[in-house]
Amino acid sequence: MLLFLYISKSLATTKKITFTEEELVNRLKSRDTLAMRALYDMYSGALLGVISRIIPQIEVAEDILQETFIKIWNSADSYDNTKGRLFTWMMNIARNMSIDKLRSKDFKNSGKNQDIENNVDFIDAQKKVTFNADLLGLKELVTSLKPEYHNVVQMIYFKGYTHVEAAEELNLPLGTVKTRIRKAILELRKYFN
Amino acid sequence: MEEVKAYIESGILELYVLGQLAPNERVEVEAMAAKYPEVKQEITAIEIAMEQYALAQALQPTEGLDKEIFNRIENTQAGSDHTESVTIPFKIADDAKQYESKIKTLRFALVACIALLVVSTVALYSSHTELGAAKEQIADLSSEKDQFTSTVNYMKQTNSDLQKIADMVDDPDWKTVRLAGTAMDPKAKMTVYWHIKGNHVMVDNSKMKLPANDDAHQYQLWALVNGKPVDLGVFDVKPDTTGILVNMKNIAAAQTFAVTLEKRGGSPSPTMDQMIVAGNVSI
Repeated sequence: MLLFLYISKSLATTKKITFTEEELVNRLKSRDTLAMRALYDMYSGALLGVISRIIPQIEVAEDILQETFIKIWNSADSYDNTKGRLFTWMMNIARNMSIDKLRSKDFKNSGKNQDIENNVDFIDAQKKVTFNADLLGLKELVTSLKPEYHNVVQMIYFKGYTHVEAAEELNLPLGTVKTRIRKAILELRKYFN
Repeated sequence: MEEVKAYIESGILELYVLGQLAPNERVEVEAMAAKYPEVKQEITAIEIAMEQYALAQALQPTEGLDKEIFNRIENTQAGSDHTESVTIPFKIADDAKQYESKIKTLRFALVACIALLVVSTVALYSSHTELGAAKEQIADLSSEKDQFTSTVNYMKQTNSDLQKIADMVDDPDWKTVRLAGTAMDPKAKMTVYWHIKGNHVMVDNSKMKLPANDDAHQYQLWALVNGKPVDLGVFDVKPDTTGILVNMKNIAAAQTFAVTLEKRGGSPSPTMDQMIVAGNVSI
């Protein structure tokens, strides 16, 4: 798939590197630091967004972002493009690192594990979210999901719950949780297509 | 196809994209994706949606964070490029330094050992010499002690003998018999003490003037009892004879004492022509 990756319009004025996903993967596997530059330019914001949904403290989230890029660099060999897109792989590294941090003893003891219920509002309050003009209304979309979908998405996507934990927490059958995740993502798909 | 549709609608593909599946479930999804293009397409659609969603919610990282990251990445890159050429020589240099200091330490230890050895050898040699001197002294002292002991013994014996002789004067039962030289040696003479009640007989070396006997012969003392000779034992006369009194065999009665020169060990009867001294008991 030769999908050209693009830079968000808000950053288009500065010189950025772009590669096709295939080229990017090849360069990454041959340990070309230019590939890392491209990845950073293209995805650091998206990944920090994912991380900070789970870890709202921006300094901690940026530490995790840094570790995420180091891990991407060090384990590029283990990425298999037949199993999924590069971003999915990177996003899951970022999510797993965030969840590990969230559940780590030192983080829990630091008292930084504030009520995650308010994470989204907290992040938004920092006004650093780089909403694309085209994507205005997304927030409304997510928050306008049926409350039952909203809950599940909140827990799994934002709080780092596993779907099994979410099912237990919401006292729902596992199958119902799966269906609700699917429905929520279908809503997103409709929006982006 | 109904089966594939149900599979897609189960929601497992969303969990797959969200990294929520156990390894065995992941393998299953990947197998399904390889087998059914619809599954693969569905996964890609989910991925793109999640990607778009993430991009839509992007947060601009603090400026300079990229520098930190790329410093680390380029350091590991530089590190891996030069690991062989830089790290190892550095290690060797480090090792060499360590060896050098080790050798220095060992050299000091060696010098200390040699010094200790020299001191020890000198001490040992001097001890050995002193020990030799001490041994010599001990031997000297020991032989001196032996000399003293023998002198003391000799003097004790002499003293005891002289005491006995002195005591004899006060004891009327002790008879002193003076034996005079015969035709064989007119100059010869000796003294015999005889206790008439205790029957003890002793010869007095200090008052003996007999020529020294050789190894093949000995002098034999006889008592003449009613004209018959009775053996009283043999004795030697030597230039270095020690002790004054020599005990002989007892005799109850005797009129005359005589000495003959006999073969070593004595004879059953006296050889009359070898009689050298004789004397009568004076009553």
